[in-house]
Amino acid sequence: MESKKLASLFQEDLCIFSLRSRKKASVMQEMVRHLKASGKITDEHFILEMLKNRESLGSTGLGLGAAFPHGRSIAIPELTVLFARSPSGVDFEALDSKPTKIFFLILAPSEKGAETYLDLLSRLTALVQQPETLEKLYEIKDFESLQAVLGGDGK
Amino acid sequence: MREEFKLLVALQDLDIMIKEAEEKKTSDQLKDMGFQLDGLEELRKARAKLAGKIPTALRNRYEKLAGHYSMAIIPVTENRCLGCFVKLPTSFFSSAYSSELITCENCGRLLFIP
Ligand SMILES: [Zn+2]
Repeated sequence: MESKKLASLFQEDLCIFSLRSRKKASVMQEMVRHLKASGKITDEHFILEMLKNRESLGSTGLGLGAAFPHGRSIAIPELTVLFARSPSGVDFEALDSKPTKIFFLILAPSEKGAETYLDLLSRLTALVQQPETLEKLYEIKDFESLQAVLGGDGK
Repeated sequence: MREEFKLLVALQDLDIMIKEAEEKKTSDQLKDMGFQLDGLEELRKARAKLAGKIPTALRNRYEKLAGHYSMAIIPVTENRCLGCFVKLPTSFFSSAYSSELITCENCGRLLFIP
């Protein structure tokens, strides 16, 4: 995991370059529905429930226009990450109260430990701390440019 | 899947989340990344509310298993219980969505068949 390239953890069919939803709950629903359509999960209900609970623990909208909804569920067979972008931004109850434009949804199986997703989460949260990278992420419109940005973290 | 079993599965997901937030190592890591975990009390309330919707006998069975194993409900992959890795009889899967809860014959955990 540590040595795995960040870009290799993403898949083209697990990206939404232009979210249609405008509200927090519907954004989560749109992302989870996308996972279902791609065959990554069989049951939307458990994942949505878990994500909703996770938000009540504290918003995963860390500010700077980026959010990292995450958690473990029995309904997730393997570590899965989905990238989504909202060109206009969404009120995701971010810690800085600013609209959220990019989302990294990170899901891990519950029978494995938290460390399964913590490493990925920490790399992604570090990524948005780089202003140049963040600007690029806001504008991503296709998988190639996502790969280029993710590949640029030197790992 | 029977409705009460669905509630039980959601309960386990919630228990795992609460445990993670309570664990110093994990919560410190999350806080270092910038996450605020102020809602632990709310999660505990949500847990109590959810648990209240589950029939007592089923909940007790879950709590007993959860006291023994890290996961009371365990997924099945390639016909194996991921708790004890014993291969399960195929007859289990034909009845997967019937009204009965399925238990691993070997370890006794409740089985989640995706
Ligand atoms: Zn077993």
